[in-house]
Amino acid sequence: MSETILKNANSWIETKKKVVLATVIKTWGSSPCPIGSKMIVNEKGDFLGSVSGGCVEASIINECLELIKNKNLFKKIHFTVQDESAWSVGLACGGELTVYIEQIN
Amino acid sequence: MKKEILKEIIKRNSLKEDFAVLTNLSTGNSEIFNSKNLLSKEFKNYENKINNFYNLKKNGIIDGTQIFILNYIKPVEVIIVGAVHIAQYLIDLLKNFNFIVTIIDPRKYFTTEQRFQKVKIINEWPKNALEKIETNTNFALITLTHDPKIDDPALSYALKNKFFYIGALGSKKTHENRCKRLKEAGFGEKEIRSIHGPIGIKFGGKSTPEIALSIVAQLVSETNKLLLNSKN
Repeated sequence: MSETILKNANSWIETKKKVVLATVIKTWGSSPCPIGSKMIVNEKGDFLGSVSGGCVEASIINECLELIKNKNLFKKIHFTVQDESAWSVGLACGGELTVYIEQIN
Repeated sequence: MKKEILKEIIKRNSLKEDFAVLTNLSTGNSEIFNSKNLLSKEFKNYENKINNFYNLKKNGIIDGTQIFILNYIKPVEVIIVGAVHIAQYLIDLLKNFNFIVTIIDPRKYFTTEQRFQKVKIINEWPKNALEKIETNTNFALITLTHDPKIDDPALSYALKNKFFYIGALGSKKTHENRCKRLKEAGFGEKEIRSIHGPIGIKFGGKSTPEIALSIVAQLVSETNKLLLNSKN
């Protein structure tokens, strides 16, 4: 799966899109996506892949768009059960995770 | 991540190599690592720790550092003997997982491009075909023809070369007869019992896609056991 996502990232780049790669780098408890799970987001907000069971994807998209807008290269984002940014429902799985987002340049 | 690194990951993935990607979470720099590569200055200080994670195929932030390591493991290879209808469903399901699939069938009318796209096909008798592939114990065999003259040589080859998963399609009776033939051919009881036959997990399905799903479930389960054992 990660192979398909990386290939898609590459084809977005070849069409001159700005692409941010998000990778799960740490998990605690019952996070559904293991370390290494990937998601890509482009400047239009299109995304592919997944870093959770749908709990934090919306928040990741916003963070990735901010990263592009602010011309930052990378950022580490931590999500916990209580974290309000983890969409309104929070992490239903009761897990915690850290996601690393980086621009591909 | 530099786009050159992204391209390199895609390239190495297609070459089916073992490697890892290291990312320094405090500088954002990343590089590709395998046992042959020399580490750049940035990562050199943590060489031992990196090697520990790499050798155990462990993913994550390396203790006491800001280095994240992600391993890309060479996929397991699956040989399917028999380009029959179930094989089409198998290919469809298997492409969602990290496997390299090859189909062997000497019968050309089965292996048309219309039926099988983007899969490696060998139009030869299994014995000849398998001898041309460099196999190892990370190989799986699925036989689907239930024709002894096609399936049996493949099963013998896989048993001799200790494939980690061997499954053979056919009814209980077909499998009993198959076991008898293998016994006559000199294989031991334990070896013969290691063949998953009738192939697949049981969930009460009879249709072709259901049989394919039951085979994939069993193969994935055995592959996970293999990967877990290789870590311990």
